[in-house]
Amino acid sequence: MPRLYGEIPAPKAKKQAPAPKPAGRPILVYVHVPFCRSKCHYCAFHSQAFNQVTFAWYLKTLLAEIALWGHRLQHPRVTTLYFGGGTPSLFPLSALAQVMDALRANFAFEDGLEASIEANPDSACDVSFFRALLSFGFNRLSLGVQSFEDAHLALLGRPHNARQAVETFTLARQAGFGNVSLDLMYGLPGQRTNHWLEQLKSAVRLRPEHLSCYGLTPEPDTRLTRSLELGEFVLPEEREQSRMFVHGAEYLESEGYLHYEISNFARMGFACRHNQGYWQGRDYLGLGPSAVSTIGSRRFTNPRWMDAYDAAVRGNFAGLDFEELDAGTRLKELVLLSLRTVEGLDLKAYRKLAGRDLLKSEPALMQTLRQNDLIRVKKGRLSLTKTGMLVSNSIISRLI
Amino acid sequence: MITTDHIRNFSIIAHIDHGKSTLADRILEITGLVSDRDKRDQYLDKLELERERGITIKAQTVRIPYRAKDGKDYILNLIDTPGHVDFSYEVSRSLAACEGALLVVDASQGVEAQTLANVYLALDHDLEVIPVLNKIDLPSADPERVKKEIEEIIGLDCKDALAVSAKSGLNVDQVLERIITHLPAPKGDPQAPLKALIFDSWYDSYQGVVVLFRILEGSLRLGERIQICSTKDNFEVTKLGAFSPEPVEFKAMGPGEVGFLCAAMKELGDAPVGDTITKPDNPTPTPFPGFKKIQPMVFAGLYPVEPAEYETLKVALEKLHLNDAAFSYEPETSTALGFGFRCGFLGLLHIEIVQERLEREFEAKLITTAPSVIYKVTTHKGEEMSIDNPSRMPDPVLIAAVREPFVRMEIHVPNEYVGNVLKICEEKRGLQKDIRYLTSTRVTITYEMPFAEIMYDFFDKLKSGTRGYASLDYEIMDYREADLVKLDILINADPVDAFSVIVHRQNAAHIGRSLALKLKRSIPRQMFEVVIQAAIGKKIIAKERVAPFRKDVIAKCYGGDISRKRKLLEKQKEGKRRMRRMGNVEIPQEAFLAVLKAGDE
Repeated sequence: MPRLYGEIPAPKAKKQAPAPKPAGRPILVYVHVPFCRSKCHYCAFHSQAFNQVTFAWYLKTLLAEIALWGHRLQHPRVTTLYFGGGTPSLFPLSALAQVMDALRANFAFEDGLEASIEANPDSACDVSFFRALLSFGFNRLSLGVQSFEDAHLALLGRPHNARQAVETFTLARQAGFGNVSLDLMYGLPGQRTNHWLEQLKSAVRLRPEHLSCYGLTPEPDTRLTRSLELGEFVLPEEREQSRMFVHGAEYLESEGYLHYEISNFARMGFACRHNQGYWQGRDYLGLGPSAVSTIGSRRFTNPRWMDAYDAAVRGNFAGLDFEELDAGTRLKELVLLSLRTVEGLDLKAYRKLAGRDLLKSEPALMQTLRQNDLIRVKKGRLSLTKTGMLVSNSIISRLI
Repeated sequence: MITTDHIRNFSIIAHIDHGKSTLADRILEITGLVSDRDKRDQYLDKLELERERGITIKAQTVRIPYRAKDGKDYILNLIDTPGHVDFSYEVSRSLAACEGALLVVDASQGVEAQTLANVYLALDHDLEVIPVLNKIDLPSADPERVKKEIEEIIGLDCKDALAVSAKSGLNVDQVLERIITHLPAPKGDPQAPLKALIFDSWYDSYQGVVVLFRILEGSLRLGERIQICSTKDNFEVTKLGAFSPEPVEFKAMGPGEVGFLCAAMKELGDAPVGDTITKPDNPTPTPFPGFKKIQPMVFAGLYPVEPAEYETLKVALEKLHLNDAAFSYEPETSTALGFGFRCGFLGLLHIEIVQERLEREFEAKLITTAPSVIYKVTTHKGEEMSIDNPSRMPDPVLIAAVREPFVRMEIHVPNEYVGNVLKICEEKRGLQKDIRYLTSTRVTITYEMPFAEIMYDFFDKLKSGTRGYASLDYEIMDYREADLVKLDILINADPVDAFSVIVHRQNAAHIGRSLALKLKRSIPRQMFEVVIQAAIGKKIIAKERVAPFRKDVIAKCYGGDISRKRKLLEKQKEGKRRMRRMGNVEIPQEAFLAVLKAGDE
């Protein structure tokens, strides 16, 4: 990747547009760490191989960006913090300490701040690492386990095995992490529902506070998609995938995990507040290359490549090239995001924004959806049932 | 003005592909009327569609000056007739304008049904018929067998039948000579009151209606006032001439001549085909007999694919109607399809032609509903009504009787397929009238059959049952009472008016099952089960279900994904906008087409 090297001089700032105004409530902060030890076969996220030179450049720019936004948003209050990637656990500890200090200096962390960090079993394998994370203020850990089956991990291109995953979890617990989430994937090539339920049982035996279960989705331009196109693997058929979703969710609920969003499960009180913030339409600030922010009615995306990202930060025009979210778009997003969650859509809030009553404007559709057990309406909120969640794209595209 | 002795008026009768247009092209070349430079295939077929499909929709005429071997100059008027059963009235009017006809028969294929129908029509009009065997240069040509066939089937003497190759031009000159020597010259007194037969007309946006006519008696001058016999409307002739093949204008024309005129007529109804032109100051006491107003026989709904294109479609229909008096349209509304038009046609081919012209010339995107004939309903109160749209059928309890149009149909087929044809006709509620062996291998089967049965997969069945060897001809006869019921299609319990059809009670279950199955196959899976039912009144006679799809979900949607996912869902919504929504079921256009093509698997 030749474009990673060599700083380019910061261009002159464009005509300054006023900084976006947050809605007044505390914001969410996301830090993107675009480094990975290796590229997983299914991953379409922006990440690059870790090396000292690029990391140093990234760190310097990230610190500058933190200062920039702390200034622009006038030391905003922050309610949740999330380090994602990429592989944040590749972050050298001293650098991580620097970033956390910079965040504290430029933003106002609220009491009870939820601070999550993603970690991979291959890069976080001693107890002192987790102790350090805790000492920096992280209080929630998200482990990218994906599967407890080595053959599946190899097929996904994960750089670790199942045993490492269990060990890493145990180390995190020993270090004192009391809020740990596991990422798992279902619908893997050749997988059957029973096999998926076995995976979930292995996860539940560890008693994590939180589980994210993602159906494997072939993204364009990934190695997995190419393999599928070449016929090297076959994904389970739709009916089997839907069984995994429904039976998996029922099993986790029987084990005390609330199915609070299409792909997320948590024990009481352990839902991820950061992610819930996205689904509630809260303002969020994304830091790091390719990170997306939504502040007020503006959405903007950082440049994906280091040189452009660096130029944007040094030139003080990060966030100036934005998408203006008009009322109609905000309404669509309210519907699309809130229907992912167990709380569903607040019909009163909808009426206020849309100027019409959703149930009354589409009575026949609502009746059909209810008759087919795809939606439920309760206490002024409309939410999707499990089968409704499975076909949520079709439902939402009828409502937006 | 030319004397009648030196005029010959003829048409060419041939089955599709037997070489009518090629022969006409060759005649134009030999007489020097069309130079090589202007030559294009099938010169006479003006419409793009006609050339492509090899059928003539409008009549064409061409005035051919010809110096015969006797050294005298003649005028030959070739009147090219439309060639399909849907247009048999126009054919009969064109033939009435001639004294003779060339019967062109493919020397390897032999006589086909459509040819027969038109030959009989020609003989009915006392036309002199000259047999011409074409494609004589093909290795498979068997002129002796085909001559024998023509003699046996039609009873024409083929001793002197001409053997030609229109393609290479072989012996085409003899055809011209034979026309001079064998066809009678027209008769007619130039001093008699004007009597001219209108055998076709079309609308030209610069000149108004252009009328093709044949003068039987009397004469006509430019600038004279004329009268249309049926309407008594008067017009002044502003243009008079003939196509040769480009228009040539004349000051006056006399008996036996074939030409065109313009007279500031605004619509085709001003000069109906089959009507007689005369003069208001000295009208003919004997207009040409057999005039009838053309009535559409088959009706179907035409709807714009995009509701916003209603006006565009309306304009297109108006334009089309200007040039096609047999085509009618009026606005109608369907709960399933929204605003559209109920259109009347002569037959199925006519529907197809109109549909193609609308889509091609006017770029209108259409949904066409299943074609229906006109039913005559008598209620218990004694009211009579004509129903051209199945969804307008009154409640069965109000109906005393329903009558439907019957056709008399002749099917010509090689004898090995007789069994199959009889089976198909019996299935179609046909009444057998006659089976005639024309030769030891060729059979003509005559049936009386409900016209509606032809609408529904009859042609397809006949084609597959005879491996394409059958040809047929039909004409509307009368209305007969029958046990007819309205078959409704319900989608998730909602009746879809555009899918309703009227069927005979004994076939209802079968057709209902077939329709439901077709729909099942063309309605994509949705997020809930779709139940398709066929019903007569309240009674369900067939049921199919489309299982719901199981999974259509975005796995991850966090801060960085929202815009992309929103656009994805907006696109999904946009994709569905092109479907018609009934109840809450999205029905793609293909479903409407599937019903139209409702046949057996």
